[in-house]
Amino acid sequence: MKQQLRIGIAALALSTLGLAGCTSQSSETIVIGSQAYYSNEIVAEAYAQALEAAGYTVERSFSLGQRDVYVPAIVAGEVDLFPEYTGNLLQYFNPEASETEANAVYEALVAALPEGLSALAMSPATDQDSYNVTQGFASANNLSSIADLANLGSVTLGGAPELAERPYGPRGLLSVYGVTVEFLATGDTTVESLVAGEIDMANVYSADPRINQLGLVTLSDPEGLFLSSNLVPIASEALDQGARDAVNAVSSAMSAEELVAMNVRSVEEQLSAAQIAEDWLRSEGLID
Amino acid sequence: MTWALNNAELILQLTLTHLFVSLIPLGLGFVLAVALARVTPAPFTPGITSALGAVYAIPSLALFVALPALIGTDFLGLTNVMIALTIYVISSMFFSARDAFTSLPPATIEFARAQGLSASQRFFFVEFPLAIPGLIAGARIAAASTISMASIAAVVGVRNLGYLFLDGFQRRIFDEVFAGLLAIFVIAIAVDLSLWLLGRALTPWSRRSRV
Amino acid sequence: MFDFESLWMWLADSKNWEGRYGLPNLLAEHLSLTFMSIGIAALIALPIGIAIGHSGKGGSVVVLLGSASRAIPTMGLLFVLVMLLGVQQRELAVTLALVAIAFPPILSGAYAGIRALEPHIPEAARAQGMTGSQLIRLVEVPLAMPAIVGGFRIAWIQVVSTVVLAPLIGLGGLGFGIIQGLALRNFDQVVASAMLIVILTVLGDQLIGVAQKTQTLKLENSSGGRNK
Repeated sequence: MKQQLRIGIAALALSTLGLAGCTSQSSETIVIGSQAYYSNEIVAEAYAQALEAAGYTVERSFSLGQRDVYVPAIVAGEVDLFPEYTGNLLQYFNPEASETEANAVYEALVAALPEGLSALAMSPATDQDSYNVTQGFASANNLSSIADLANLGSVTLGGAPELAERPYGPRGLLSVYGVTVEFLATGDTTVESLVAGEIDMANVYSADPRINQLGLVTLSDPEGLFLSSNLVPIASEALDQGARDAVNAVSSAMSAEELVAMNVRSVEEQLSAAQIAEDWLRSEGLID
Repeated sequence: MTWALNNAELILQLTLTHLFVSLIPLGLGFVLAVALARVTPAPFTPGITSALGAVYAIPSLALFVALPALIGTDFLGLTNVMIALTIYVISSMFFSARDAFTSLPPATIEFARAQGLSASQRFFFVEFPLAIPGLIAGARIAAASTISMASIAAVVGVRNLGYLFLDGFQRRIFDEVFAGLLAIFVIAIAVDLSLWLLGRALTPWSRRSRV
Repeated sequence: MFDFESLWMWLADSKNWEGRYGLPNLLAEHLSLTFMSIGIAALIALPIGIAIGHSGKGGSVVVLLGSASRAIPTMGLLFVLVMLLGVQQRELAVTLALVAIAFPPILSGAYAGIRALEPHIPEAARAQGMTGSQLIRLVEVPLAMPAIVGGFRIAWIQVVSTVVLAPLIGLGGLGFGIIQGLALRNFDQVVASAMLIVILTVLGDQLIGVAQKTQTLKLENSSGGRNK
């Protein structure tokens, strides 16, 4: 009887070992990517440290450049996890996407993702394109919504070069709001160009700390020109359930304000992404 | 300065990637340029020279972006960037490599031939050693420009010292951008000096060459 | 993948030839940045290069400057200048960065051209009673002309292909199509823009090459004439 029990325990131990072997095999090293965008790198760091705290081995493959470079890499399984933005990613897969409300965008994204990719739960934190004007320009022209621009004669819009062709760029402004703009590709210097009066309106990411610092006015978008864009982890099939849970915990804990606050630390205190992510995870009790 | 000290580990890691991304194309390009210069028959030299001149005129950013579409390489930027840099090294070095071989004293080559050395023996034991000063001069020019050009690869997702330019400019951290500039300058000069020393060590008979 | 038909269709599309970011405008911007910076570089580099070549003092500085300039990454230099001068001065910043690129080859062209003259030439000129400035104006500079033009040739190639980075700091030029095309996944636009830049570079290089040859021929003819 004892003998049998011993064999039974041994068998059980072996089978759990076997199982453990299986799981550790499917979760060998998790490769985490990030865009060449400091805020995205902070989020990727948060995923990485949360996974490490959960016992996973991760490899950081950060600042992989444009979607064009890294999306095929995730599909090919070279990268397992990537912080993304629902609206912008949906538009990458489907430039004609018309959904704008957060949940609808998320659903559409899930449907649009290619085989082998999955979207984990989206975070309440958002970082999306938005149109901003200076306080002075807003009060001089009585602006609070993009629609108010229609009353102005001419508006100069500044942004990245690709904004010229985006659905929410000059074409969208005209068709949705009847606003005619002249476009200036101000690239990475857009915010300064706005403050200097070189342009009237700037496309700035909503989590950019400078919106607050400089007291810019973000124009509301009642007609839903912009797709709302929440942070969403994109995972390859190699990611096991335990890892998914750990990442989902990070997503649900992060609010839009906290994302901005982390970006502020990055540009003002000039801390590294790893430091900022670690401090935040600690304050949320996600790591100890 | 504080930024650089706080991020010394990152800078070191980026420097290693940077060296990897630029030195491999440099070595590969050197061998290919020497081979190309040696096997190209004289009548084809002007044609190849102007073709390589046109290649050299392709803006590096454009080549980094367009190469995968043109030759079907993989998408993660690294291989792609190293191929592009190798192409630049070849086009930058071909002319000086050609020059280094054609300006060898004919009498020496003739003498080696008369001694019964085979073509490959003549190449490895006579022509190549004598061409070293010219080849090293060409390699030094190619090395400095390859190392500084490699930084543009950061735009297409290669995380080398060029990352400090993009990230530092986004975050408006002057020290970060400046640290990148300085690090690239220092490794370019270090590689340049190493090549000069290598050239001197390999040609003990001509100790008159100066920096 | 890439095919020529869609490239031609992109080039033939009239919408790519119109407006602020149409090809003619981008080309004009590209050329004006190039000419302006090469011009400024020449104004500073030529007198210095000629003076160094004439006096023979400071030659090692020219050589050092040449190798140092190659080691400076232009993108970093551009960003550093923009951050120092402020975004509103970005045109000045890009011009300064381009001047820094054009300066060394023009300097060393002038220096090397004069240094390469046989020592007996300036000696003979002085023996005929020429002053220093006459020697420079009438003998050294004319004889060094092919090398001087050669310096411009290198400066042209480097500046034209570096202006491509201007859109990174919100300026135009033909690099616009490369950077916008990269973000929009429009490879026709990227390749077309790159092709135009290559054509521009090679064309300019050939033109300067012709000028260089004319100068050399002129020298050969005049010296040949005198010898007879």
